[in-house]
Amino acid sequence: MISFVNKNIQFNRTLIILLVTVMGLNVSCKKVLDIDSSRLSKEDDHWKSFQDTRSGLMATYGLMRSALADNNAHWLWGEFRNGDFTASSRSDLKVIVKGDLNASFPLLQKIASWRAFYAVINNASLFIERAPEVLKADIRYTEPNYKVDVAQARALRAFAYFYMVRIWGDVPLITASHDGSFEMKGRTEQSKVLAFAESELIAAAKDLPYVYGAEGDDLLPGLYYGYDFERWKGALFTKISAYAVLSHIAAWQSHYIDASVYTEFVMNNYAKANAAYSTTLELTAADGIFNAQSYNQIIAFGFNDLYGESTVNGHVEQLVLAAPLISRETPDLYVTKDTIASVFKDLSDQRFGLDTISGLPRTNYFVNYGSAIPVFSKIKVLRGGSTNGDFAVYSSSIIFTRLEEIALLRAEALAVLGQRIDAINLLNIIKKSRGGKGVSDGPGTDLISEIFAERRRELMGEGWRWYDQIRYNKIQNDNQDFLALINQKGIYWPIAKDVLNANNKLVQNNYWK
Amino acid sequence: MIRIIVVIIYVALLSTFSSTKVQAEASYTTLHYSMLFRQDTDDTSQKKLDTMVIADRRSMVKGIADSLNVKLSALSPNLSVQQMLKGNIAGLYVQETSGEPGTEQSMIIRGLSAPVFNKNDIYSQQPTVYVNGVPMIRDNPFVFDIQKYGFNRIGPATNLLAGIDISNINSIEAIKDPAALAKLGPNAANGAIWITTKAAKSGRRDLSVNSYFGMVQASNISPINAQYENQFRKPFYQKYGTQDDYLNYVGYLRDSTSLDYYGPAKWGDRYYKNTPIYSVDLGLTGGSERANFRFFGSATRNAGNSDDTDLKRYSMSFQVNMAPLSWVTISSMVNVGRMDRDRNRNLRDRFAETRYIPDLYNPLSPNINTYQSFLNEYDKAIDDNRTTQAQGYFAVKLDLKPFKFVSTLNFDYSEGVRDAFFPTTLMEGNNFSSSYIGYNQRFMINNALSYTKDIAENHNLYFEVGQSVQDDRYRYNYANAYNGPNDFIKVNVVEGDPDKGNYLKPVGYLVYRYTDQIHSRLFSFYASARYSYKDLLTFSALIRDDGSSNSQPGNRWFVSPSANASWNLKNQFLKDNNLFNKLRMDVSWSRIGKTFSDDKFAAGPQYRVNAGWTLEPTIPGYNGIATISRPYSSGWVGYDIKWPYTDQLNIGFDGAILKNRLSASATFYKKDDKRMLINTPLPAETGFASQYGSGLAVRNIGLDLGVQGHIIMKDNFNWQSGLNFNFNKNKLTALPNGLDELIVGDRKLKVGEPIDRFWIYENQGIYNANSEVPVNPKTNKALTFEGTTLKAGDPKWKDNNGDFVINSEDKILAGNSMPKFTGGWSNQFRYGKFDLSFNIVYAIGQKALNQSASLQYDFINREAANDINSVREIFSWQVTSDLSKYAIYNPWSSVVPYRLEQDMFLENASYAKLRAVTVGFDLTKTSLFKGKSSIKKAYVYVTGNNLLTVTSFSGSDPELIEYNGIYSGYGLAIPRTYTLGIKVDL
Repeated sequence: MISFVNKNIQFNRTLIILLVTVMGLNVSCKKVLDIDSSRLSKEDDHWKSFQDTRSGLMATYGLMRSALADNNAHWLWGEFRNGDFTASSRSDLKVIVKGDLNASFPLLQKIASWRAFYAVINNASLFIERAPEVLKADIRYTEPNYKVDVAQARALRAFAYFYMVRIWGDVPLITASHDGSFEMKGRTEQSKVLAFAESELIAAAKDLPYVYGAEGDDLLPGLYYGYDFERWKGALFTKISAYAVLSHIAAWQSHYIDASVYTEFVMNNYAKANAAYSTTLELTAADGIFNAQSYNQIIAFGFNDLYGESTVNGHVEQLVLAAPLISRETPDLYVTKDTIASVFKDLSDQRFGLDTISGLPRTNYFVNYGSAIPVFSKIKVLRGGSTNGDFAVYSSSIIFTRLEEIALLRAEALAVLGQRIDAINLLNIIKKSRGGKGVSDGPGTDLISEIFAERRRELMGEGWRWYDQIRYNKIQNDNQDFLALINQKGIYWPIAKDVLNANNKLVQNNYWK
Repeated sequence: MIRIIVVIIYVALLSTFSSTKVQAEASYTTLHYSMLFRQDTDDTSQKKLDTMVIADRRSMVKGIADSLNVKLSALSPNLSVQQMLKGNIAGLYVQETSGEPGTEQSMIIRGLSAPVFNKNDIYSQQPTVYVNGVPMIRDNPFVFDIQKYGFNRIGPATNLLAGIDISNINSIEAIKDPAALAKLGPNAANGAIWITTKAAKSGRRDLSVNSYFGMVQASNISPINAQYENQFRKPFYQKYGTQDDYLNYVGYLRDSTSLDYYGPAKWGDRYYKNTPIYSVDLGLTGGSERANFRFFGSATRNAGNSDDTDLKRYSMSFQVNMAPLSWVTISSMVNVGRMDRDRNRNLRDRFAETRYIPDLYNPLSPNINTYQSFLNEYDKAIDDNRTTQAQGYFAVKLDLKPFKFVSTLNFDYSEGVRDAFFPTTLMEGNNFSSSYIGYNQRFMINNALSYTKDIAENHNLYFEVGQSVQDDRYRYNYANAYNGPNDFIKVNVVEGDPDKGNYLKPVGYLVYRYTDQIHSRLFSFYASARYSYKDLLTFSALIRDDGSSNSQPGNRWFVSPSANASWNLKNQFLKDNNLFNKLRMDVSWSRIGKTFSDDKFAAGPQYRVNAGWTLEPTIPGYNGIATISRPYSSGWVGYDIKWPYTDQLNIGFDGAILKNRLSASATFYKKDDKRMLINTPLPAETGFASQYGSGLAVRNIGLDLGVQGHIIMKDNFNWQSGLNFNFNKNKLTALPNGLDELIVGDRKLKVGEPIDRFWIYENQGIYNANSEVPVNPKTNKALTFEGTTLKAGDPKWKDNNGDFVINSEDKILAGNSMPKFTGGWSNQFRYGKFDLSFNIVYAIGQKALNQSASLQYDFINREAANDINSVREIFSWQVTSDLSKYAIYNPWSSVVPYRLEQDMFLENASYAKLRAVTVGFDLTKTSLFKGKSSIKKAYVYVTGNNLLTVTSFSGSDPELIEYNGIYSGYGLAIPRTYTLGIKVDL
């Protein structure tokens, strides 16, 4: 090795060692530059194990939750427009209440974008396409587990489409991930979109279990992703959830025969999913059904404090809660006393009425009734169901539907189809469970109005009011202004500028041009 | 024996950091190098130690105004490198966005290389600062990923460049020459600041002591109380207010008997204060020709004049040079420092950090007693910010004529720790505690081998090959906790009983934890050659190959060339000319790759945690289970992301006339930053908010000019003057995917236009009546703003495209947030033992959007929103802008008349500042010290800083503008400072 060494041996030895070391550095440089980031998962390392499917499927749920929670959009879309709430001072909320959706506030632009729903759709499509790779690669990932996962992804994707159709009408229908190749798609007629959603849900419902993680379940026996039913209740799409969405898809299109079929399935089978009606206390308590997980949440997106998921944004409380429950002085939105009085006419109603003994108003739905601005306190899940208002972070789930809602939807369908007795029976179950008097059939009974009035009371603050008004007016067919709004497609939201700018195949809803 | 020790040390060090197989490569490498080294090495000249080592660590500075007059600058109590350089280097723009000592500051060399949308965009445009050749590691903007608001980065957010004491600095130069930068490689793609510290040297022991003491002066403000605000709102209510609006009148202004709001407004006495500052340092050098050392230590306190902000710094530096053999030199340096920073007490910054906005219905009161009680509560808070730094090198140089071999190990480590606790009284009944520890760590090994050869008379050749490995690691751990049991327990207590189910789980607090790390490496090779002919011509060329772990595997390496030609015109044409003492022309071109600061681009398509949304970025998962998906909100990362790079061309002239009394240099430059990444929109139907597109290109063209003159040179009177000037113009030359324009938030980029333009509506007055609103004759519909019909009391925005709808298509690109002309002018007069100097800095041609005024006028929306912009700080109780300047629009209108993006709020922010005036007196020759040979120098001086600003800007200071050109009013005043100092050399 040192054969070339000349007279100055010592010197060269020094240099050799030195230079060899230096060169050694160079040679290994290829490996030196391969550093795997700890902050992400690379394409070639993904879809290899059942952790990937688990995190991918949960991401679909998480993205759906983001879509509904961002800027409290679930309520801005569904609850406030022409609804029971009045904005105290915020101009951007005032215009939403007025239905003046073109107004130039940043908030309106943000919630007029449907991007977050397409993230759900893309993620679900990607999951459906890539989950088979895991089935091959990881023996821990079983066939039943795979089937249930894909069914959930399909159901969530269909749900996202239905939710969007309610807001924007026609939306682009995209059923594959087109991963990495991006193209512009025009809008698809909403009937086609809903037909797709319906067929997907029917297919998915076959594979969806009633309960996740239960021993002896037909479709999915035993633990699901290592957790039992306690962990999964209320969090995932069940067979009942799929039929609940199907019912709504049918009702939205005034296909009430279908709606009655789908709701019948729910009403006949909800016990298999351990769902039940909630008492007034469960409905309005801080640690009631809105807190954490419950079988009664037929479709819900949770913010379980147990897992550190409490947030400030993404809850109706952020808009409507105020002192004495939290330290805020005035809520952004409140129900005026006049509205309360006109909605809750039955004084024995436990939700809001007068206490027969003390004569004071009941505080289940509203507190501070005595002041000019009552506070809507039906949903008030401060961190983990506590009542400590010092720290205003919330854990309330976004409940899309629960049994009462489906029962009332079924009553609506039956009433439209002329099966008045069954409809009244269902309606009275709800009314009586809230302490109210039942409805009896008679020539003067406007059953449809009764049902919708009950929906208005029962579902106040849950993001239904606007869509209910649309269905109600379609059935009643007598409010000319509203019918004109429906015909001119003014019931839909404008599409955000950013969305239109990025896709030249889209055109703004005519009404908002 | 010594040789052996040297070898052992060196090999040990190298192998520690390389982890490679030395033996295996031995046979392959030895032959090659042995050929080169079989030269006779006995003849080594006996150079002095200090000059030898330092010479390798100094670069060649070309322009006149490219280096700082350190002696002059040391007379001002400047804390950071940015402050030292401000206005003193042609083409280097420093803007202090806050006078709070130790906050992050930026330097921009020769214009923006990419658009600045928010604060973290400025990080990637900073030049690298080299301290004796050690490239200092910067903070990485990746912490912004978990932040809800980007006002300040989490952690101490201390300017790492505030850790260097100017008393220990020998020279600071800005390297702008493309060829010189190319040799430094990707680290220096945005330019380089080259600092050499005072060096260890041989000779008699030298001791120097410098100290100053001074005061920062409280600002002079006009405080206001609620009556003023009430008066301000009156016209709006009189003109447009409905009964309902009167009922909703904001609470704190309602009760005119309330002393809190309507009483005397003396809050300023507690907010603005005269505050002492000081510094003392000591430098010691000594040793023999074979081994010498330098020690330096300093303690400094710098302070702002507002909100009790200050920074304490302790630094130490130690250098040792050794020449164990005549041809071996070993040198080493270690600098350590610590900075403790007291930060401001802005509500906004606190709410942003806690991510929790309490009810803002009642703002802080301007009453001194109420404000004092707030401060008393604040005293219970903890707000500790500590930054420790250590950097240094170990270098070995072998001088084996005609070969030279230099091997260096560099390291730089900085660690930031922040502990914060805010009691319940400040946080609406819940308390907040957080702790942050983060570090940046860099190891770098450089090796360079050079060879000089005179091939014939007058022809000289020089070759150099070099290689370096750089290993960077950024990491932080952050935890924040809410709602603890009481204000006495200020830390997160966990369950200590291992038998309990919640063992090690927090009891009391609600705790969130975050941690993140980026690890990257840079591997470089270069080879260069230089040929010079007599003292007339020099040509040099360099080619380098850089590999970065943050680049995609297919595009990991980037080859880039550079070339330089220098022509001595004086010797060529004007050899006998007496007027010209020097005249040289330089042409230099280079291409340098730019590395990514984030490691996400290397992976290509990827899956990430993406469970949150804009307002809740950190929600951990769904149902307690981690979620991983495509990066829908941060943007799609595809394949084929190649290295961004910068092409730079310099043409410079450098000359001196009149016996070198007047010297000047002028450099024309063209800087093209290409193939940069930017988020481009994707159709929303893909689910992605955007995708990273490669292909953003920005061109900066400009001129650096420096003139220096000894105007008067008499025995007892001397006047020296120096002027530097830069003109810069930037232009967007390309967008990814051939796009012509790109809208990002409230900004629009258009190819061919500058990148720092504002995108705004043109305001042409007010509609006084509904009938004044133009009506579209075709549809008979009145002019709308994005669909909302304009009414009386709304602004008259110009409908540029004439479609009777005011929307973003009617916005125009106007103004620039960066100045067109920047520079400074310094003068030194000496009369006998006295001297006087002053320094003026200026920036001309930039504009700013006055958000402070916009928010003041948009009080209806601002107060109703209860968001981060609704926060009303204590300093808002002062007269800020001219109230008659803006029209009285209807603040309740849903077109938001006082929206920021309109030319009504665009203001000229040009300025000139008298930055420093110093009067000094040399005691050395006075009778006091005469004959005392032990004292080499004794000098006393008085300096005043930031004395005068000339500007038409309506805000408090045209410098206190955010990097994106928005004036929020949040920058703390840059205070007037007066210091008295002494310098003694023994």
